[in-house]
Amino acid sequence: MDTLLDIRNLSLDFRTTRGRVKALRDISFPVRKGRIIGIVGESGSGKSTILWSIMGLLAGNAEVTGGEILFEDRNMLTLSESSRRAARGEEISVVFQDPMTSQIPVLTYARQMFDILYRRPNLSRAQKREAAIDMMRRVGIPDPEARVDQYPHQFSGGMRQRAGIAMALLTGPKLLLADEPTTALDVTMEAQIIHLLQGLQSEFGATIVVVSHNLGLIAELCDDVVVMYAGEVIEAGEVHDIFHHARHPYTRALLECDPARVEKVTRRLPVIPGDIPDLTRPRKGCIYSPRCQRAMPTCHDVDPPTAATAPGQFARCHLLEGPHADPTWPPPASVLTVGRGTEDLPPRPDPAGTPLLDVRDLNVRFRTMGPIRARLRGIDDPFVDAVLDVSLSVRPGETVGLVGESGSGKTTLGRTILNLLRSEAGTATFEGQDIRNMPESRFKPLRRDMAMMFQDPVGSLSPRKSVRALITEPLLIHGITGRDLDVEAERLADMVRLPKPFLTRYPHELSGGQARRVGVARALALNPKLIIADEPTAGLDVSVQGEILNLMAELQAEHGLSYLIITHNLPVIRHIADRLAIMYLGRIVEQGPTGAIFANPLHPYTQALVEGVPKPDPDRRRKHVSISGEVPSLLRRPPGCDFATRCPYVQDRCRVEKPPHFDAPAGRQHACLFPLTHN
Amino acid sequence: MRESAARERREKLKLFLTNWQGVFGLILVLLFFASAIFAPWIAPYDPNAIDIPARLSKPSAIHLAGTDQLGRDTFSRILYGGRVALKIAAIGVSVSLVVGLLLGMIAGFGPRWLDNLLLLVFDTVRAFPTVILALATVALTGPSLAVVLAIVIVTSIPSYARIARTAALSLRNTDFIMAERSLGAGLGRILWHHVTPNVMGPLLILGAMDVPVIVTVEAGLSFLGLGVLPPTASWGTILNEGYLVIRDTPWMVIAGGIPLILTTLGFTFLGEALRDVFDPRMGRGR
Repeated sequence: MDTLLDIRNLSLDFRTTRGRVKALRDISFPVRKGRIIGIVGESGSGKSTILWSIMGLLAGNAEVTGGEILFEDRNMLTLSESSRRAARGEEISVVFQDPMTSQIPVLTYARQMFDILYRRPNLSRAQKREAAIDMMRRVGIPDPEARVDQYPHQFSGGMRQRAGIAMALLTGPKLLLADEPTTALDVTMEAQIIHLLQGLQSEFGATIVVVSHNLGLIAELCDDVVVMYAGEVIEAGEVHDIFHHARHPYTRALLECDPARVEKVTRRLPVIPGDIPDLTRPRKGCIYSPRCQRAMPTCHDVDPPTAATAPGQFARCHLLEGPHADPTWPPPASVLTVGRGTEDLPPRPDPAGTPLLDVRDLNVRFRTMGPIRARLRGIDDPFVDAVLDVSLSVRPGETVGLVGESGSGKTTLGRTILNLLRSEAGTATFEGQDIRNMPESRFKPLRRDMAMMFQDPVGSLSPRKSVRALITEPLLIHGITGRDLDVEAERLADMVRLPKPFLTRYPHELSGGQARRVGVARALALNPKLIIADEPTAGLDVSVQGEILNLMAELQAEHGLSYLIITHNLPVIRHIADRLAIMYLGRIVEQGPTGAIFANPLHPYTQALVEGVPKPDPDRRRKHVSISGEVPSLLRRPPGCDFATRCPYVQDRCRVEKPPHFDAPAGRQHACLFPLTHN
Repeated sequence: MRESAARERREKLKLFLTNWQGVFGLILVLLFFASAIFAPWIAPYDPNAIDIPARLSKPSAIHLAGTDQLGRDTFSRILYGGRVALKIAAIGVSVSLVVGLLLGMIAGFGPRWLDNLLLLVFDTVRAFPTVILALATVALTGPSLAVVLAIVIVTSIPSYARIARTAALSLRNTDFIMAERSLGAGLGRILWHHVTPNVMGPLLILGAMDVPVIVTVEAGLSFLGLGVLPPTASWGTILNEGYLVIRDTPWMVIAGGIPLILTTLGFTFLGEALRDVFDPRMGRGR
């Protein structure tokens, strides 16, 4: 098969004030024509840097120290700037991660697409417009003749990403680079975009390079996979080989850590111990050796051999070739190579009795315009219902997962429970006490019992405060005196297993996982009974998210905490929640025990979510996308069932009648007029 | 592993010291401070000592910057004039910075109506031309150092307040402020512990850049006879007196102008260098 792009021995440094960061070291892999190749790795592995060096769009402090990037026998690294510019957009184009920021907000799509075709002077304006409309139709944008004249802000997130793909494909490039193309999108949109990229690839015969940390996306979409770790390619091969017969210990560990691949539901998730190495220090031997479960003395001193099975398929490990080769490696897939923590958690008390937190028919409304303007426009009700008739309870020692896509109102609900937002109607009781819209002065003592962990681990820490000040602050706020704050800080740091030297650091000097530990320590400082955790694993790498979740589970067992976990990450919540509540457009559409919900969802939306998660297994690719369309705006809530606009089983009655909450056997509830039956 | 805060501070210092503009600015600013503070010990003559026979002499070894129409030593008068400038600049900048910060944070975190009201007041004050405001005030009260100071403070509060308000507004809905609220932190604690440190950096840099503006306003008002009264030495009065005798000797105007230029240059360079070092948005590349 032809090789379109060949990267050979690429090495690249970043000059920083800390010294030279050896961001890429001796990268070699081919990209074959007509294939989809995935580059997978955790943050800091250099996977995006490869993309930018192919495009020649590196940051000013980057310096290529060796190697070549051959694109159809032209070396992109030595090409003149003008011929490189000619290749960009025409022959190689990019789909960006965030369609919000990568499109020009003040120009219409038609105008942006004219600009993309500026190297085609022989095309008339009308022809260019025709090409733009045609491409928008092919990426699945409805009514492209009218929508091409709209601005990016008039498109929803998923449509915007489709438009981004249309813009990238407009010039008919030979190579399409996609940088985390679905990270900014919801689960149901992600499935649609994966499907679209696959369809377009076979239609245009383009070659696609996808960079992602999402193993599910890679398994579902790619033909070949390159696994990167700390600036090196440690393994490359066909997608089936990588996912079923991974040969490098890191690839094995990465796959075993993915919660979506762990079939058995346990409270403990596997983790890779240790941190990504500091790339400014000179290093001998295998880069992965400090974290490797199978490290031998040789691994720390001698560079690992490249064990190739076919051209472009190799792994770099001492276990595979040379004097230290181990014929029993790799073990069969059923054997775990990474630890998941040895001690078993004590069986948790059966959560029963009176709920700790009990929310009944809670409503939260946001004003959309001022009262005068609403009257002038003749709108009687200038509000949107962000949270509508939500009933939810959390019992002591229980973990409840609140699942939904962005805009489903799950974060709003969490903040309303904590009295950070006002609610309109309903009741919310905590330990039997009515807390809804309680004045802050009376609510303050209750804040000791209810803590919140915020979504952004670093952004939720005050940037100019040291870790010590941050984790002792709750004690100061609540006027708890008579304790030595230094002792207290060390006790809390110890509890979340944060090494003591970190106490003097500032938030921007912490990695995501470390900052998350500080967040947990802050939440725990006052011995709360309930922790509301908003996306506790967002922005964390696969290996780190297991550590945080295990820590949370241990602390729960130790202190009898209850958790309300707000998330969109179904594979993770499946392992940690006792009960789930699925939210759609501010309503809870289904509620019940986690296992039952995953095994046989009653609401079609739940089914779509459960099936929407890409499976990290190339043999289980989906042939069709379960639901189409997007979450409608809260301003245009459908008159009948909220999900009626997207439901594959929709019936006439659904469009006019809003389903109430029905009770189902085994403590389940749903809001569907025609619940799914599973035979 | 990432480096500690101390190391980062050292790196910032190094970055600052390799910036020639910054170092040059710092030297000029230090010279300005030293000459003003130590004027009584450095000055070779009493600034008001009259020596009629030596009037309007050129720069020489005896009179480093020449003398004025009354034979007073211009160099000594410049040093003492620097004291006036430093006083106005130091008090003016610090008072308006503190008041501006407070008002700005109140506007940013307070209710919407208060924000609008304060903005209206800020914009009204800013709409006044400084010199006209000064003329009107002096017509009512008579010229004095206190009036100059008051005018300087009133007219520069709005610019600090606006910056503080914008910064506070952008912080208001960030995750970490929400996190503090969820812990039960009161408004006072949020403003003092969590907003102020994040707003202070840009304000201090703005303050450094504002010093020369205030020094020139003082000199300008004194030049017009609205500020410091003779015989007190000020760079503005020196310029004014020099202007009256410019047909006989240009030296007074030159000697009075040089410190103004150097101070302006010094503070501007220093402010820009500080901004380059501390404002991450000014960083290059991706």
